[in-house]
Amino acid sequence: MEFLSLLDFTFFLLAAFGALVGIIFGAIPGMTATMAVAVCLPLTYALGLHHGLALLLGLYVGGISGGMVPAVLLNIPGTPSSITTTFDGYPMAQKGQGEKALRVSVIASVVGGLISAAVLFLFAPMLADFSIKFSYVEKFLIILLALSVIASLSSSMLVGIFSGVIGIWLSLIGDYSISDGGNGKTRLMFDFMEPYLFEGFSLLPVLIGIFGISTILLEAEKGVKSELSNERIQFGKGGGFSLSLFKGRLTNLVRSSFIGTFVGMLPGVGGSAASVLAYTQEKNLSKDSSQMGKGAPQGLIASESANNALTGGALIPLLSLGIPGDSTTAVLIGAFTLQGIQVGPLFIPENAETWYIMMTALVFANIVMFFLMFYAIKHIAKVVMVPKHILYPIIVMMCVVGAYAINYGIMFDVWTLLIFGILGYLVQKIGLEVAPLIIGFILGSQAEVYFVKSLESFGTFSIFFTKSPIAVVLWLLILASVAFSIVMSLKSRAKRRQELLS
Amino acid sequence: MESGLSSLLSVSIDFETSHLFFPTIIHWVMAGLFVLILVTKVVPFLAAVKRGERTMPILGEPMDGFRFFGTLVLIVAYFYLMAVVGNLFPYTGYGFLFVSMAFVLLMSLMYMHEWTKKAVTIVVINAVVAPSLAWFILAKLFNITLP
Repeated sequence: MEFLSLLDFTFFLLAAFGALVGIIFGAIPGMTATMAVAVCLPLTYALGLHHGLALLLGLYVGGISGGMVPAVLLNIPGTPSSITTTFDGYPMAQKGQGEKALRVSVIASVVGGLISAAVLFLFAPMLADFSIKFSYVEKFLIILLALSVIASLSSSMLVGIFSGVIGIWLSLIGDYSISDGGNGKTRLMFDFMEPYLFEGFSLLPVLIGIFGISTILLEAEKGVKSELSNERIQFGKGGGFSLSLFKGRLTNLVRSSFIGTFVGMLPGVGGSAASVLAYTQEKNLSKDSSQMGKGAPQGLIASESANNALTGGALIPLLSLGIPGDSTTAVLIGAFTLQGIQVGPLFIPENAETWYIMMTALVFANIVMFFLMFYAIKHIAKVVMVPKHILYPIIVMMCVVGAYAINYGIMFDVWTLLIFGILGYLVQKIGLEVAPLIIGFILGSQAEVYFVKSLESFGTFSIFFTKSPIAVVLWLLILASVAFSIVMSLKSRAKRRQELLS
Repeated sequence: MESGLSSLLSVSIDFETSHLFFPTIIHWVMAGLFVLILVTKVVPFLAAVKRGERTMPILGEPMDGFRFFGTLVLIVAYFYLMAVVGNLFPYTGYGFLFVSMAFVLLMSLMYMHEWTKKAVTIVVINAVVAPSLAWFILAKLFNITLP
């Protein structure tokens, strides 16, 4: 318990400050936990390692949690991992149950966060041992599983898969990166595009464009009706919320937390995949999923507990292997390097004190996040309680800052906003699905590397089935996911037919 | 039989063209799915449009053309002018600051349905304060690069 002597008032103050700033960043659409961490990274130069860690972990937890606010109140995920929160949160807000939805989400978040912290603490070495065994073959299959799962969430699986493949296609634009073992040649573009698109589209401008700009275009088309903004302000009078909402949801809560932790742990498969997987599993496994997507608290519980559980999970490969579990932890590697610490298999045994300090900061940040959001949510949510004609220009402006600053001042990233804003608008208009497209885009380039490298090493397609027992299990999960979605769609079709007849 | 299957599944990738290997597969998958969707979704949908049961997306729907195209024009002008003005004052973020003020003002006015004195005042104050605040916090306090 020597590490306790290293904790001081400043440490807790910084963790709390980090959580607050993180929540605000997360709550502003287009500003993510990754940005919050990246923006505050320079502040850690002045701080020592432990104080710096407190601030960064506070930002991380707060940033992931804050994403629920605009997801519920505006139907714009504040961070990519809140995509599935919009499915049920926004319908609830439209029914005047915004505060109820947010409080359910906050509780789910803190449970997810704490469960994953416990998992991180207890099983870090063991779980790392497990994921270290994953070769490219298994990593590719994990991505395939994520895509099949997200497609099974779509209203039509065929359309969902097609949207996902379009996303993958978009992610392949650019070079086949040498740092990934590729040959560095570009594809899917004309020569004149090379100066702008050599490395393809940047992820964040694409996400901000699709979720921010296209939402505004869709609203503009409808004339930005002012009565809608009145509806948005009603997020209920705290009515309807009680802990009994969680009655019978414990399985969901715990399952989603573990899904979030596990997905967070898989290197590179972070972000939205966790909440999407948890949401789909709840949809597939719960007794009554008919209300999901129309405003069911169970959807919020699945989504928010999973995306907060990501924090603990994503730290596992970071601390045990030196591999970031998601984009935010990728930035955290930068912070460690700044402090002269090499994360890897030897990190925990050699830096036991720092390891305990991190755990303390992580748990404390979760608790601060809970109190801030549970009791002050009304004030924090004011960020989104502004009338639309005031809010939308500011959203566009902040989207621009987010896109421009993420790669330190590239104007093309700002134009990417517009390109993907219009693309997102068209995609939604012609009935394709945005979520699979985005997942495809996020995972596409990694899928390529894992796929091609597997084939280069083994020289046969059969390796994807015979590589290891894990591969077989993953195939079974993929098949189960597809089968579930087919069974569900047949069931709902039969039900609809019965309703038509009666 | 066994060897026939394994030779069917075996593959060798030429490093020089390895950047095209995965995209080619994706193209085939995309084409296959597109044909499937065309047959199962698009053709029945077009038939429904012809019978007058459904309307074409975008073309057949009511649209607030002024606000939609106004938004597009404003955004294009905003992005373009930001870089132009930003180049006049490099490394200051003034391009972002000044052009954002104009953009926020115009977009707010365009989206506003009832022009009351109070609402317009709020819009004007917001158009000055919001970009200034964003500029001050981000460019000055956090040293983020702005156009």
